[in-house]
Amino acid sequence: MSTDTTDLELRTSRQLPAPPDVVWDVYTDAEKQKVWFSILDEEPGIVRIETDLRVGGRQTAVWGPSEDQLFTEVQTFVEVDPPHRLVSDTVASTPDGQTMTTRITLTFTARDGGTFVEVHQTGFPSVEVRDFFVEMGWQGAFDRIEAYLARG
Amino acid sequence: MVQQATLDRMFSALADGTRRAVLERLGQGPATIGELAEPHAMTLTGMKKHVQVLEDAGLVVTEKVGRTRQCRLGTERLDDAMAWITFYQRLWERRLDGLEAYLLLHPATPPKGPDS
Repeated sequence: MSTDTTDLELRTSRQLPAPPDVVWDVYTDAEKQKVWFSILDEEPGIVRIETDLRVGGRQTAVWGPSEDQLFTEVQTFVEVDPPHRLVSDTVASTPDGQTMTTRITLTFTARDGGTFVEVHQTGFPSVEVRDFFVEMGWQGAFDRIEAYLARG
Repeated sequence: MVQQATLDRMFSALADGTRRAVLERLGQGPATIGELAEPHAMTLTGMKKHVQVLEDAGLVVTEKVGRTRQCRLGTERLDDAMAWITFYQRLWERRLDGLEAYLLLHPATPPKGPDS
């Protein structure tokens, strides 16, 4: 898995040991999601998931260690193209009431008998300074720093 | 628009590998001067100077907590965005780990096709 956070977007990926139609089914089916979402948790927590898998449909996921410490994620599906591509506009909320709206794009590609899953998440808010670096790219920014320093 | 003087201060502040490493570290969450100094084998005084430069450039905010000085990334919204990216990084890791574990435990899971 590789993760990139130098930009105000998140990319991550994983090779999974099943073909795309199986991965798609396991990833999107609400009952299966409840199983795999907490399959590695040592302490049993709360996981509630409801899915209406169609364009304009919603998936609501609620999870947390206890009823007063719940995270919520509401995804509204923008593209549903099984078993290749799933795009959703997503609102996440923390137990203390902070919320964040982002767009999540998942792609499922057949590879080596399994599936290569890519996650691309965008829409994290930026500030002017941050925009500047996103625009230039970090490398471009460092080139500018060099030019700035050479200016003397 | 970003003011020219602000950019100048920012570029000066970023023109140092240690200070860039400090920003990367603070992207993971707040830290004390001591915690920031440790990986660089640097004295507290040396790190304080670096943090001061970053603070003057508006890239870092510090706050005295008891006997230590807590440092975090400079603007609230940037801080928020980084916190959310970290939140989602952990969430995706959890999801992809869970998916992988499920698929290894259920190798014969039949896909629910349109005609099944």
